[in-house]
Amino acid sequence: MANAKKVVLQRPPAEVTYEAELARLAKADDAPRPPGWRLSPRAVRTFILGDPARKVRQKFVGQPSLVDRAMVALATGRGLMLVGEPGTAKSLLSELLAAAVSGVSTRTIQGSAGTTEDHIRYSWNYALLLAEGPSPRALVASPLYQAMKEGAIVRFEEVTRCPLEVQDALLAALSDRVLAVPELAGEDGMLFAREGFNVIATANTRDLGVNEMSAALKRRFNFETVFPIPDLATEIALVREESSRLLERSGVTTPLPEDLLEVLVTTFRELRGGEERLSSPMSTAEAVSVAHAVGVRGAYLGDGATAADVVECLVGAAVKSNDDDLKKLRKYFEQRVSRHEGATWKALYEARHRIPGK
Amino acid sequence: MPLHVIGVRHHSPACARLVEHVIAEVRPRFVLIEGPVDMNGRIDELLLGHELPVAIYSYAHGARSHASWSPFCAYSPEWVALTEGARVGATTRFIDLPAWDEAFLEVENRYSDRHSRASERMLRLCDRLGIEDTDALWDHLFEQPLPLDVLRARLATYFVELREGDDALARDELREAYMQQWIGWALATGGPVVVVCGGYHAPALAGSVAGGPEPEVPRARGMERTGSYLVPYSFHRLDAFVGYESGMPSPAFYQRAWEDGAEAGEHMLFHAVTALRERRQPLSPADAVAALTLARGLATLRGHATLGRTDVLDGLAAAVVKEALDAPLPWTRRGKLARGTDPLLVAMVAAFSGDKIGRLAPGTPHPPIVADAFAELRGAGIDLAGGKLILPLPAERARSRVLHRLRVLGIPGFTLVRAPSLDRTRTTLAEEWQIARALDAEAALIEAAAYGATIAAAAAAKLEEGLRGARGIAAVTRALRTAALIGIDELALRLVEEARAAAATEGSFADLGAGLAELVALHEHDVLFGARGATALREAIVAAFDRGLWLFESLADAAQREIEAAVALRDACRTPLALDRARAGAVMERRVADAPPALRGVALGFLWSTGGTVDAAAAARGTTALGDFLAGLFALAREEVLHEPAVLDVVDALVQPMTRAEFLQQIPALRLAFSWFPPREKERIARRILGEGADARAFVTLDVAPEATIAGLALDAQVDEIARRYGL
Repeated sequence: MANAKKVVLQRPPAEVTYEAELARLAKADDAPRPPGWRLSPRAVRTFILGDPARKVRQKFVGQPSLVDRAMVALATGRGLMLVGEPGTAKSLLSELLAAAVSGVSTRTIQGSAGTTEDHIRYSWNYALLLAEGPSPRALVASPLYQAMKEGAIVRFEEVTRCPLEVQDALLAALSDRVLAVPELAGEDGMLFAREGFNVIATANTRDLGVNEMSAALKRRFNFETVFPIPDLATEIALVREESSRLLERSGVTTPLPEDLLEVLVTTFRELRGGEERLSSPMSTAEAVSVAHAVGVRGAYLGDGATAADVVECLVGAAVKSNDDDLKKLRKYFEQRVSRHEGATWKALYEARHRIPGK
Repeated sequence: MPLHVIGVRHHSPACARLVEHVIAEVRPRFVLIEGPVDMNGRIDELLLGHELPVAIYSYAHGARSHASWSPFCAYSPEWVALTEGARVGATTRFIDLPAWDEAFLEVENRYSDRHSRASERMLRLCDRLGIEDTDALWDHLFEQPLPLDVLRARLATYFVELREGDDALARDELREAYMQQWIGWALATGGPVVVVCGGYHAPALAGSVAGGPEPEVPRARGMERTGSYLVPYSFHRLDAFVGYESGMPSPAFYQRAWEDGAEAGEHMLFHAVTALRERRQPLSPADAVAALTLARGLATLRGHATLGRTDVLDGLAAAVVKEALDAPLPWTRRGKLARGTDPLLVAMVAAFSGDKIGRLAPGTPHPPIVADAFAELRGAGIDLAGGKLILPLPAERARSRVLHRLRVLGIPGFTLVRAPSLDRTRTTLAEEWQIARALDAEAALIEAAAYGATIAAAAAAKLEEGLRGARGIAAVTRALRTAALIGIDELALRLVEEARAAAATEGSFADLGAGLAELVALHEHDVLFGARGATALREAIVAAFDRGLWLFESLADAAQREIEAAVALRDACRTPLALDRARAGAVMERRVADAPPALRGVALGFLWSTGGTVDAAAAARGTTALGDFLAGLFALAREEVLHEPAVLDVVDALVQPMTRAEFLQQIPALRLAFSWFPPREKERIARRILGEGADARAFVTLDVAPEATIAGLALDAQVDEIARRYGL
């Protein structure tokens, strides 16, 4: 592992990024821990919500009680289902929880239409299987299998994108905490989960999928809805911080001008909050990536970011040239942007001809 | 120490317990309570053995009208001070200014939590402790079991913090100075004194010094009638989730906490489970177990020895909710329930609110509304013997108002047979009533007393309460019209303001149009409303107009209600009000270019009827779905069509060559289109189409039901078809 440290990873997992913080919290942690947990729930809470006094960064901006409920669900042996609009930091929260509770956040199944039961349970190394017959050596463990064996948390991203019957492969693991491997004889035929094992699933409300979960599986999860950031100032601060970090990585040292940032975030909020929702999610994460793109355009393609860049990036990155959304965007510009006061808003309105189509 | 000032939060069981303990221990000679001093003469009425909750309702009428409540429930520290004080033989007195004093201007609930809610410091403390709102903070700090001395010390620190983080208002200082006079008098008289007051005032009152005579009850200046009396109250009205100016939320929970102590959380959890099941929510025993486990887990995590209110609510929500939510959990924020709150959560909040309604003990003096109602009726010269009453407006406005007030309060015997119409085309307004002497009118009035001392105040309060659950501008403007009819200007003004706010978030174009039409009508008929409201009304109309344009821009299609809404927009445009007509024109032009036929007709008609130059004839020639297009066009530009009937010739030319089948298909839409013309105008059109000399009147006043005509035409077509098939 000594070599691995020298390699610069694009995005290391949370337990690596915050290794020092986690170690410090574990050292000072004298509160009772649920069986199999690396930290007490109170320390996990501090890790996620931050504590300036203990030099722990706030990593998740959201309701503290949501984090409480999530942890208690995990500690009382119920699965945790995080639902919400895309880009509301559900995956981030699940990663942070897994890293803090189990010390590992990489036991992850990515749900998709192509996910099969084998991805969830286990599969076989067919060369070994043919040569030796079924044996523990020939078994290829899934992240779920590993997590049960280690007593860790397994993350199941976008669970509702999987077919219903595939999702239901989780049932036995969640209710009886056991995974049967009928091919193997003796003790190996039953994998009993160790203390500390649990499931955090995420699903997004735009996938129309949440309704397509079996009642049996729903019953085993606690549902927590993650909402967009409620106030403007917090969201601006977050977008400023995250986009500056991304810009730095792209070699751009000048952050976005404050007035432009405010206009950008306000635009996202108005498009998100209005009753005419775009089909593209106008999330904070999306705002960060648009802010990043605007900064890069301004630095490399012009002299400084302008309102025109915002329009271009908004259309390209966020709205993705969906005709219906473009129509709504044009209406938004004609009727709302036109009436905001201030030079930057005026400039944004003047740049409306950059929205493609008529 | 002879002076014991107990700063409390109103409706807090923990504080009530502290008060109970201190009074039992100190056995004071005086118990002084923050409450309306003008009630002192009748303070014994409170001890008659009522079923709680009850409230002291204070009112004043004169130069300005004012009403406020001081509600009591079993766990109110003030109530406990009253009953325990009486039990130990102390002299109990209310020591705060009367509710009609200027210090209480615009205060509706003496025992609400204005201070803690607005406190920046408390919000920062919430932030630091990772708690979402000040109610949860209060529960966390105080409603857990604590030794009384710890509780007392902690409360004192909290209230000093609260006070220091806030600039005390002049009105608070006025009240405190007055309360200090009472404390000074009691101290000078001798014996231990216990003071129970809002914690915000406690630091100021603790410094009172002995001396001075017994303070006088201030006289109401410029007030004709003032008074305080007892009324039944309800948990529903106590709940902060319902009203904007109330105290602690979830009264049913705290009632349990007061009665059952540490067991309350668990009891409430099962109570809520039962309530949810009664509402046909499938909740298995496993769900209940999960909810309890989660609630206990949360309590442990949060360092609570017993289940707190939010522990139980959070636990229930986590176990019961199996969908993504559209609105945050109600108890993580203050105030009314947000739009889109899950019905399960609404039911949970309701179970925690409770439906207890107080009852006054027999022999409690009648509230003055009963006398007021009969005095008003007499004053207006309304004969209770009954019969029909026709009131032309505005001449008979005074009588009309009395009757409308009684109607709003649901007092039997007063029936509105025909409502006044605010239709722009009518010039006279008149309403018709049926009056009858009903035996249960008096009982209904006593019930209505909780809303106010006079039928005017009560009708206003009831109307407003009815509006609290309502959403959307149409509901607000309906109430606004009623407010105008009962003649309560203050309420009407507030509703106009609310209509303005509702316009900004209205999602339905049809509802918005209905609301706008109502606003414009009220503005035109200022006979009902007086000049004061005109400015506010104008602002509301501007806001609704603005919203209307926004909604119209993306409207997908227009049926009758949407067309009427567009007419309302146009009517607003025709008033001399300062509206953004240029923007309206731009929106309409965009819609003429891109909308389906009915909307194109509407947009074109809008432009035409507001002085724009349009080529309606060409547009009619080029349209599909002619009937839909015309329905929109005629609805808005009826008069223009009559003055420049080239478009009618085009229509005629388009209809003439239609096959019978095509014509039958178009008939409903065409009929709707022409229904916008009154009979006389239809006759003019017919004369034009048929040529002079034809019997146009007979043509348009066909003495056959339209359905019959259509059915006849269809039958003709069938006969023709059969005849053709057999080669006839």
